[in-house]
Amino acid sequence: MTIGLYHYLVLAVTLFAIGFFGVLLRKNTLIIYMCLELMLVAATLALVAFSRFNGTIEGNVFVFFILTVAAAEVAVGLAIVVALFRRRGTVDVAKLNALKN
Amino acid sequence: MTSEFLLKSLARAGAGNEWTLIAPEILLAGLALLLLVFELALPKAMRRFIPAISIVGQICVLAAALLWALEPKINGSTLTGSIFYGMLKFTPTGQFFRVFFVITSILVHAIAMISLPKQRVPRVEFFHIVLVITAAMMLLAQASHFLMLFVALETITVGFYVLVSYYRASAFSLEAGLKYLVLGSLSSGLLLFGIVLLYGMAGNPAAAGRYPMLDPLSYLQVHHFLANNADNFIGNLGVLLVLSGIAFKIGLVPFQIWIPDVYQGAPTPVTAFLSVGSKVAGFALLFALLPIISPVFRVVVPLLVVVTFATIIFGNLAALTQYNVKRLMGLSGVSHAGFLMMGIVAGIHLKGSSDIPLFIYIIAYTLASFAVFGVMALVAGENDAEQEFSDYHGLAKRNPLLAAVLVVALGSLAGLPPLFGFMGKLLIFIDAFQAGFYWLLAVSILAVVVSIYYYFGWIRAAFFQNWQSSAVPDETPVHPADRIRVPVMMRLLLIVLTLSTLCFGLYQKPVIEFLNLLRIF
Repeated sequence: MTIGLYHYLVLAVTLFAIGFFGVLLRKNTLIIYMCLELMLVAATLALVAFSRFNGTIEGNVFVFFILTVAAAEVAVGLAIVVALFRRRGTVDVAKLNALKN
Repeated sequence: MTSEFLLKSLARAGAGNEWTLIAPEILLAGLALLLLVFELALPKAMRRFIPAISIVGQICVLAAALLWALEPKINGSTLTGSIFYGMLKFTPTGQFFRVFFVITSILVHAIAMISLPKQRVPRVEFFHIVLVITAAMMLLAQASHFLMLFVALETITVGFYVLVSYYRASAFSLEAGLKYLVLGSLSSGLLLFGIVLLYGMAGNPAAAGRYPMLDPLSYLQVHHFLANNADNFIGNLGVLLVLSGIAFKIGLVPFQIWIPDVYQGAPTPVTAFLSVGSKVAGFALLFALLPIISPVFRVVVPLLVVVTFATIIFGNLAALTQYNVKRLMGLSGVSHAGFLMMGIVAGIHLKGSSDIPLFIYIIAYTLASFAVFGVMALVAGENDAEQEFSDYHGLAKRNPLLAAVLVVALGSLAGLPPLFGFMGKLLIFIDAFQAGFYWLLAVSILAVVVSIYYYFGWIRAAFFQNWQSSAVPDETPVHPADRIRVPVMMRLLLIVLTLSTLCFGLYQKPVIEFLNLLRIF
């Protein structure tokens, strides 16, 4: 069996779905964060696969931008998580409910 | 040596190519860096002028942006087509939004100058990030390539993560920041996956409508692909994912969950920036993408109509029960996004109709929103997240000017007849009527009635309720400590916003002529 575009896409969609439902269902902020990264990685995988099988280089270039953006997002995100943990002593989303009417 | 080289290459760049066309963005980014340098270099007594320097700089940027908007020229001839190898394209709507975002940023600065001194936070970084986000918004409005779109959008989003959690001593602000972070990244992930699917399909060498010369990530190639393969499942899925990423920015149901909490926890100037800048950036993106995805309107438009229905109903019903003014503004902002979407779907139905109603609505919403947020920043106490109706009790006595501004601005948001907001709503409703969206129209008119109720709850708190205990008679003079001091510039700004809401409501010709000047018809 040769591995084709289809296999890569199925893997990418699976990873994306795991990430997506992980964000919606998990309660720990750090796990949610990993799931968010998983979604970006799934997009990256699909991008590289498309780039390889279509013979267009733009996808590979796009990956660098995604990596940079993801790094920026993590830097800001973890800073917020740490500040919040210092303030509230928890990073459990179920317990973060100070904001309400 | 190095500086000489730099100057030479800058001169070369200025003489013959495209860099001058994005001078406003470059100037803004330079100004943002300059503010940080000023913070380090200026003596302490001078540092309080940094926001003022920023505003003056932005007025220069505004002039440059207006100049390009009126007549984009390159090498002496008027610009047609895209620049930077198809990354950016000058369109009339893009140019309008470019000017719009600079003005938004100046107004956010004005509110921040009132709000930030009430907290113990560093100030200059705030203005720095606002400038960077504004530059990214301006690029986003002109993007014609999905890579440009993604990078500009992420710059905006990451900047907003920082801004929302800016009051880092406040648990509310941090919690809002975390919520915005998680949901914002989720929507970015959806948008990115949509872009990847479109890229993969549009780049397929075997697909009909593949032009080998075109970059598969450019809007144009994606449009050609969709035009030739309107039934392609993955292509349609990609379009829907991209639209859901935009819907998050705009705050359309079902992507509006973040709005009340984030609006409440964010610092007041950031709430203003989110509710005008970020929302309109989403609309700017939508305006740019709608022609691209026009081949799949058969799938997209019915969905958009359903979403519009849900957005108008949800926004107004949820706003009914709010007593926190920031949450109220957020949820009523959801309903305003719904009204604008109604104008957009009506415009799609009536092919070739005028875009002017949408722009008038956006301008009216902006003028009124900033007036309200300006009042909010002035009235707010030390706890920025808890601004309730009860804080507005007796405002008419404590500061009659602010109460008057609030009445006009809220009346315009509600859409009362002599005001500008009424014209925006009326023009959109006429479009919807002509397009035959009778149900949508009926729901909207009911929604307007509901919105008058909750906006007037706020006005009632300002005018008819005693802020002292009920035992104290109404006639007692106001204690000096209860008066609200308004700096002269802020007073001037609020008066300008209010007067323009009043005057444009009666006489819209200047606005329409300005839009025509920018080639928006």
